[in-house]
Amino acid sequence: MPDITLTVDGVTVTVPAGTNIVDAARVVNTAIPVFCYHPRLKPAGMCRMCLVQVGTPRIDPSTRQVVLGEDGRPVIAMMPKLQTGCTTPVSEGMVVKTVTDEVKAAQRGVLEFLLTSHPLDCPVCDKGGECPLQNLTMGWGPGVSRFDYNDKVHFEKPVALGDLIYLDRERCILCARCVRFQDEVADDQVLGFDNRGRNWMIISKSDPPFDSKFSGNTTDICPVGALTSSDFRFKARVWELQSKPVVCTLCPVGCNISLDMRHDKLMRVMPRENAAVNDIWICDKGRFGHRFIESAERLTTPLVRRGGRLEPASWAEATALVAGKLAAIQAKAGGAAIGGLASPRLSNEDLYAFQKLFREQLGSNNLDHSIGAPGETAADDLGGTLGVGRGTNLMELGKGAAVLVVGADPEEEAPVYMLRLRGIAQRGGALMVAGLRPTKLERSATSRLRYRAGGELMFVRGLLKAVYEATGTTRLAVRNSGLDELRAMLNKLSLADASAACGVSEQDLRATAKAFLEADHGIIVYGAEARSVGPALTQDLAALAMLAGKAGRANSGLIALLPGGNSRGALDMGLRPDARPGYAVSASRGLGAREMWPAASGHHLRALWIAGLDPAASLPAARAAIDAAEFVVVQDMFLSATAQLADVVLPAASVAEREGTYTNAERRVQRSRQAAHPVGESRPDWKIVQGVGQALAEMTITKDARSARDANAKGAKSAKGAKDVAVAVADASRWDYLTAGDLAAEIAARVPGYAGITYAALAATGSGGTWGRQANEAIYYDGTNYENSEGVGIQCPSLAEQATKTAFSLAPRPAPATAATAERPLLLLAQPLAYDGDPLLRGGKLAAHVPAAYVALSQDDAARQNIRAGDMLRLVSSAGELSLPARVVADLPQGVVLVPANLPDADLAAVQTGPRTYVMIVT
Amino acid sequence: MLGKLFKGLRTTLRYLFRQPVTVQYPEVKRPVRERFRGRHELKRFANGQERCIGCSLCAAACPADAILVVPAENDPAQPTSPGERYAATYEINLLRCIFCGYCEDACPTNAIVLEHQYEISFYDRKASIYTKDMLLVPKDQGHGEIPPLLQQLNRRPSPPAQIDL
Repeated sequence: MPDITLTVDGVTVTVPAGTNIVDAARVVNTAIPVFCYHPRLKPAGMCRMCLVQVGTPRIDPSTRQVVLGEDGRPVIAMMPKLQTGCTTPVSEGMVVKTVTDEVKAAQRGVLEFLLTSHPLDCPVCDKGGECPLQNLTMGWGPGVSRFDYNDKVHFEKPVALGDLIYLDRERCILCARCVRFQDEVADDQVLGFDNRGRNWMIISKSDPPFDSKFSGNTTDICPVGALTSSDFRFKARVWELQSKPVVCTLCPVGCNISLDMRHDKLMRVMPRENAAVNDIWICDKGRFGHRFIESAERLTTPLVRRGGRLEPASWAEATALVAGKLAAIQAKAGGAAIGGLASPRLSNEDLYAFQKLFREQLGSNNLDHSIGAPGETAADDLGGTLGVGRGTNLMELGKGAAVLVVGADPEEEAPVYMLRLRGIAQRGGALMVAGLRPTKLERSATSRLRYRAGGELMFVRGLLKAVYEATGTTRLAVRNSGLDELRAMLNKLSLADASAACGVSEQDLRATAKAFLEADHGIIVYGAEARSVGPALTQDLAALAMLAGKAGRANSGLIALLPGGNSRGALDMGLRPDARPGYAVSASRGLGAREMWPAASGHHLRALWIAGLDPAASLPAARAAIDAAEFVVVQDMFLSATAQLADVVLPAASVAEREGTYTNAERRVQRSRQAAHPVGESRPDWKIVQGVGQALAEMTITKDARSARDANAKGAKSAKGAKDVAVAVADASRWDYLTAGDLAAEIAARVPGYAGITYAALAATGSGGTWGRQANEAIYYDGTNYENSEGVGIQCPSLAEQATKTAFSLAPRPAPATAATAERPLLLLAQPLAYDGDPLLRGGKLAAHVPAAYVALSQDDAARQNIRAGDMLRLVSSAGELSLPARVVADLPQGVVLVPANLPDADLAAVQTGPRTYVMIVT
Repeated sequence: MLGKLFKGLRTTLRYLFRQPVTVQYPEVKRPVRERFRGRHELKRFANGQERCIGCSLCAAACPADAILVVPAENDPAQPTSPGERYAATYEINLLRCIFCGYCEDACPTNAIVLEHQYEISFYDRKASIYTKDMLLVPKDQGHGEIPPLLQQLNRRPSPPAQIDL
């Protein structure tokens, strides 16, 4: 865009065309006060606070030339009235005056007028201390008001807009930032205006009220204390808070958040600005879902089973017991008799230490980061191998970018991705959303594609065919294998067949392929629905990215939405049976979670160590296996169902109580700081692992020393025995990490993709704002604490970017056999929900948002079986059955039924045979 | 010689027959000045509600960081103070307090007043923390009066205090 030069208060500034006066002034550190304007929202010109004097060069109407004065400079024609800076775009030669008497009088007038209906209850207002209205009144307002205090309009104090957000109508200055945020950014058009004049007010239009997953952000951008969160209501004054930089681990976005602490207690959660991750927003799950760290149910001491009951014990006792038992089982049955499961929410350091203990000390590859439920999908490495490349920033993408979303519901799986992808479409990028069923993201899409159930694979292969027809293999840039198989498959396939099989027209397939091919940057985002098809689909998505030349480059590649906040990290750290850290395939494959349960029930697996997962709550098989296992250690924050069955329970510190790094879906490694002291005696997970590791190492020494002594007694080679002891001592020192940073340094040294990602390097990555910190930043951002002092994190290179010899397979995998039969005609899918039965949400404000379990079915299916909403239905599969009330959904495709995943009262494990289960409904 | 002696003792003799100036503290207590700043009291409104609204401005103004306020939301049926907010915890560490009166100045509702009690001593440090129960005046006294300082200043208190004044 052409640049435009203008003068602001005598200072010349050059900005891109289309910039408004407020932003242009900001470039030269001139603060034009604003209330309604926000750089992330379209200007509205509602508050009139940004009034400035504007003049443009006079144009001679006859010659269309700029009139020059006697001094040779253009004659400036000042506009007769003040203009709003936020709605006036700059023009060449414009002159802006922001501090003239006229402007000052207008600013004083606007503030005096705004304050006539403001209650001035700053002492009790939660915004007090970070309130733009307070600050602007001090900076630009009149000292006194001519308005009588007793004439103020009063409304009933707080009105609940939803159960999370309160509205104080007296304080509202009607700037519409909240309404515009909901309409423009969040795409939940749930707020609006009601009445007029003095009774003009914000209302919620939705049922349930303020039905949005991003509602908390409106309290951040509210320039007064009109919108406050119920979570932070009268908890503390904002100047008393200490902001601690933490990374949210509730979903794979990895939003940067601040935990605002007072006296070691969590007061509120706020976003930290990171343009490459969450910009300045967070979802309500992150904002209101962190109360678990202060739950009264947190474990405070280690528990050891004595006489059938779990009783408090000391760390020394518990650690010695764990080490002793594990060593005994290892000695008796070998390392393969021990299995470990760790939550994909733990930090990279925890996960690394965990697998290190298992692989290097116990000699076991039985590692996984899931619970082995039938609905779980196979480990997915595409985000790491062909994921978006280093330097990816969705915030920068717009025109020239194409995003293909396949089988994902970002709003539920990773809410902030919804905002990020919508932003790309708003900035002119192509957002192509393909799915079985409508999602909220679809509303923002530039093109919507709806394939039929079972046609997913053909849809992607159709796209592949269209891409192949257009460019062949000319764009194939990454090392690859299996091209011949792919060719063979594509040659056999005709686009018409693919189109017929998936229900998307040939034209649409071609257009989508064309848009994806022609874009400078192409991203494929896929989620739970796509993964449920199996590796055949993800493999074809990878082939599509490679064939289109959009794999593993900056701003191009795949983004996999995996469950858990650090699934990517867990896969990278080798929390899997088949590979060591950094995708180094291990020689012998261990047992995955799903294989562990039968192995434990059959007494092949004798000991289990479960960190942060709760398989017993939802899996009867796991419950039986845990019962059968000889020794079970559970390391968790809460006494979960699994912990209740354990022999030793070790209390773990929450994400807020320890340091760590987390890897998000785009492989950005971000550091989270300690915000509070650990509850009771709880310890960070890596420290717990280290304690056991040390105890095990010491045991080895003692054993070796004993054997050496025995050897001495026999008069055998004593020198060799002594040497063994020395070696063992050296090994024990491997567990000498003092801080999580030491572990991070080891990860950086030993895991290829993480080279250089030390805490020092993470801290040096600077603040993440596109605006940077400027003199008048407070004018926009007051009432918030977006400042990111902790660095924006470092993106690991994808495997395609690393200098390895790995070849990425293009070969198509066999299509999964569809099992829809006349007997079981309906495809049951688990529907991911943001507010699900996550134990971390219990007891918080979001607990009320967790729905009661239901089975959603289409109108056609409902009509066929004469089912009405609320009827109890029995879903019967080959595995079992499940009874749930029906919910009839208008736009669900025929033949698909949805049951929310991970709800305590929907026992999906009872009916699922895999990620995709075919069922029949019995009424 | 004798004259000089008398001259020297004249002052002594004169004071010999006057009332002694020594105050027999603690039996007798000297009155303090009206604006004397002694121990704090938390006042009430005439209806018995607490004046303190838990805004923490006293704590913010305190140069010695002697005040701790933890606010909470009023039960609308039985409010502790007018409005939505009250102080659930209010503590002053009197060993830290320097009796500067900034808290009094900062208070938007004239809830905290440095009164004339100056006998503040403790046997242990923990006893120096005065809790809300100790600072709050009984329900039947100490309400409704504007502190003398503010009366003299002839200044309208800030709006929330106007609720009942």
